[in-house]
Amino acid sequence: MADNDIKIVSFLCNWCSYGAADLAGVSRLEYPADIRVIRIPCSGRMSPKFILSALREGADAVWVSG
Amino acid sequence: MNVDLCVGCGACAEKCPGKFDDTYNAGLIKRTAIYVEYPQAVPLKYGINPDVCLKLTKDKCGNCQDVCPANAIDYTQTEETITINAGSIIFSPGFTAFNPSKFDNYNYAGFPNVVTSMEFERILSATGPTMGHVTTFPGLPLKPKKKKDKLLAEKRKDPKKIAWFQCVGSRDINKCDNPYCSSVCCMYAVKEAIIAKEHAGGDLDCSIFYMDMRTPGKDFEKYYQNAKEKHGINFIRSKVHSVTQNPDTNDLDIRYVDEMGQIIDDTYDMIVLSVGLEISEETKDLAQKLGIDLTPGGFCKTGSFEPVTSSRDGIFVSGVFNNPKDIPESVLDASAAASAAGDALSRARDTLTLELEKAKEINVAGERPRIGAFICDCGSNIKGVVDCEAVTQYARTLPYVEFADEAMYACSQDAQNKMVEYIKEKKLNRIVVAACTPKTHEPLFQETLSNAGLNKYLFEMTNIRNHNSWVHKNNPDIATQKAKDLVRMAVAKAALAEPLKEEKIDVNDSVVVIGGGLAGMASAKSLATQGYKTHIIEKKEKLGGEAHKLYKTAQGEDVQTHLDELIKEIEQNENITVHCNTSLESVDGFVGNFKSTLKTNGKELDLEYGVAVLATGAKAFVPDEYEYGKDDRIITSLDLDKMFKENDAGLDAINSAVFIQCVGSRQPDRPYCSRVCCTHSIDNAIELKERKPDMDVFIIYRDIRTYGEKELLYKKARELGVIFFRYDVDQKPEVSIKNDKLLIELIDHVLNQPIQIEADLLTLATAIVPRKDEKLANFFKVPLNDEGFFVEKHAKLGPAEFATDGVFLAGSGHYPKPVNEAITQGRASASRALTLLAKKDNLFTSGVVASADPLKCSECGVCVSICPYSAPGFMTDGRFEGKARVNAVLCKGCGLCVASCRSGALHLRGFDTSQIFSQIFALGEVV
Repeated sequence: MADNDIKIVSFLCNWCSYGAADLAGVSRLEYPADIRVIRIPCSGRMSPKFILSALREGADAVWVSG
Repeated sequence: MNVDLCVGCGACAEKCPGKFDDTYNAGLIKRTAIYVEYPQAVPLKYGINPDVCLKLTKDKCGNCQDVCPANAIDYTQTEETITINAGSIIFSPGFTAFNPSKFDNYNYAGFPNVVTSMEFERILSATGPTMGHVTTFPGLPLKPKKKKDKLLAEKRKDPKKIAWFQCVGSRDINKCDNPYCSSVCCMYAVKEAIIAKEHAGGDLDCSIFYMDMRTPGKDFEKYYQNAKEKHGINFIRSKVHSVTQNPDTNDLDIRYVDEMGQIIDDTYDMIVLSVGLEISEETKDLAQKLGIDLTPGGFCKTGSFEPVTSSRDGIFVSGVFNNPKDIPESVLDASAAASAAGDALSRARDTLTLELEKAKEINVAGERPRIGAFICDCGSNIKGVVDCEAVTQYARTLPYVEFADEAMYACSQDAQNKMVEYIKEKKLNRIVVAACTPKTHEPLFQETLSNAGLNKYLFEMTNIRNHNSWVHKNNPDIATQKAKDLVRMAVAKAALAEPLKEEKIDVNDSVVVIGGGLAGMASAKSLATQGYKTHIIEKKEKLGGEAHKLYKTAQGEDVQTHLDELIKEIEQNENITVHCNTSLESVDGFVGNFKSTLKTNGKELDLEYGVAVLATGAKAFVPDEYEYGKDDRIITSLDLDKMFKENDAGLDAINSAVFIQCVGSRQPDRPYCSRVCCTHSIDNAIELKERKPDMDVFIIYRDIRTYGEKELLYKKARELGVIFFRYDVDQKPEVSIKNDKLLIELIDHVLNQPIQIEADLLTLATAIVPRKDEKLANFFKVPLNDEGFFVEKHAKLGPAEFATDGVFLAGSGHYPKPVNEAITQGRASASRALTLLAKKDNLFTSGVVASADPLKCSECGVCVSICPYSAPGFMTDGRFEGKARVNAVLCKGCGLCVASCRSGALHLRGFDTSQIFSQIFALGEVV
């Protein structure tokens, strides 16, 4: 991860938010390219360890959506 | 358009000059002649409107063919006639929204800020023309070009006051010919008002002008009360006379008479007309061609006991065409129609099935990962922004990647064939595809892996189109970098992928239906007709349930005759075993493999079955007010039905009959509407009037909720001279017995004066209360709501099943319902059960399921308590007794247990902790 960029790691639920991100694409919406999506089967899969790990790896923010 | 070739990139629409009304956006904006029906369409394929396409109308243009990267445009296509041989037809043509242009008093055609509810839906939608921003002049282009439009657009503002007018094109024979109630408008108006307030922030004033607020669906009454109390929506019982427009501001002035008879003038920024549902002339013509009978309102004529069967043998109906209805009821209708169509064809079941041949799976266990990465250009969709060649080059440098290739369309048949070849040639054992979304394309690529002999879970897909090139099209460098990151993450995850097994589920194909009422019998009859052994468990001594107490249906059918026939059919059906006087003592197991002990008159019987239908029904509330029980002249609706059934001589002596509605319903301790009582009382009032026309009949009500064509009964009752008085819940009528006179006192809502009625008969329309069977709910691990009704899988889309696999739901245990709706849901539950039963030899779990490592398990039980599907449990014997084990059949692969496991004993195959960490770590690597 380059130091000068903001990086947001987003954990998106397959059934809702991931689909919403797909729809944003189909609708040709534009948003900053700072997020990297990790698809998870449900936001229930989310573990605090993932958040801590992402921050330790240099993420500026973590977004969990489901 | 050749839909097999179209990749949905949209390059054609960008260059298309043709324009026509975007019907998906209710005509608020225009769409191009080549278009996709709506952005969420699956499959995402474009089509051409031949009426506006310049090429097809004038042989000019041809832009789309020039720009289409997939050669999908074919102007030579013509209408084709296709013949299909079918044994049953399901006719589900839907409705059209009423067009209010002809109402000159609301001037929808002339005033830009008078909109229909369908238009307002689109205004509220994030995918609508204003992206969910509520604004006036919604029909104007966002950046108008015409001078006239520009002038109007200057007046555009965020509305501060919006009014909804109910019953536009419904319950109206004065301005239009739709005497029926459209059933859905009250709820959608309340919903639109709440959402509008949410979108606009706190200061939006929303008012709904209505005649009767009709919220008789499950949880609808609570929604309505919340709208009033929590959201501050104003409900005004009035029919607005007319609307005029302020010529300077385009604000709308209205004049109406309030409940106290005062004339009120008010001004609104926007008015939403809650338009009703209509059957189009086109549909009526088609119905005529099909030879099916329609009701006066143009809906399909169906009977209460076969509620989805048209008058023509073999044609079944569902949805609004089968009377106005909302989503859950349409879904129930659809499932019921499938059950009815299947019943008719049960002998032909499985006669046209073809077997698919599968390639033998290669064992990759212990092999070093050899990853093949495929980067898709998606024509110019990805390549137009992302440097796909650079991404492919980069992929080749990543650990374990043996091979990387760029494909113009990775999903095309030739690319798929090539992928199979590469897998074999390069001995690839993991595949990464960087393309569009796995939500639509993962199954396609997984099938390709299977064809090449690879386990389909040795696959990882990353989305460099929807999540990248399409949303960062002005930043190609950043998008290319992001694509590289995404590929790196996917490769890291794929390296850890393991072949997963889909376990075969053994399905015992016999069924248990709990409850032998109408819904339970309808369900059992369909399942048995389609060849499945069905047991009905009934706790009483005979089948039929509460229906034994009913006189007639809303359509005038005699309930007892039909009920007797149905019971006889059930008893004579070879596939049905009826267990009366029977209770359910235990339930073990899960979908496909349930075991129960039944107790019949003290004798126990063990039963094994694959699916269960809960049709335990509901019962009439015993009133605790209005002097009930103190005088023989005060009875309940069911008592009156009994009098009719027995042709009670006492009926002739009655000169004055009163009905009080909502007894026990729609009040704080029972905050739901019992749905059937308005129609029931009106029906009985008509019966009384027809028996003795000079009888005085009064119905004291809060809102009359005769939804759909039941409204015609309300009309008929008024025509027969039934008198309706309305009361408020905080000013209930008072019943007293003085000098042997039965007196009812209430405040008349027109005169605002107290009035007194002397009655010979007072019928209390009592609530319907659920059985609140917690024992049964626990047996099958299904939830009950606050009132004690069962909670279905999904309020809209899963109304006849539970979240627990293999357990289905029908009848008034779900929510109070009349005969036809109970039978519809009975059939629907059978249809849903059939989707499982029909897969008997072909039912597999997903590979993405949780598993527990007994050596690490600390037996804390968090997973057991937290799982919504009851998948984890403790082992009861063997070396690991007491340790957790996950039942793959019940597991939905959500990973909740994995996240909650403090010992790290639980793993989610396909999304294991190590795999997610690998993605995070890959992200952290400096490129």
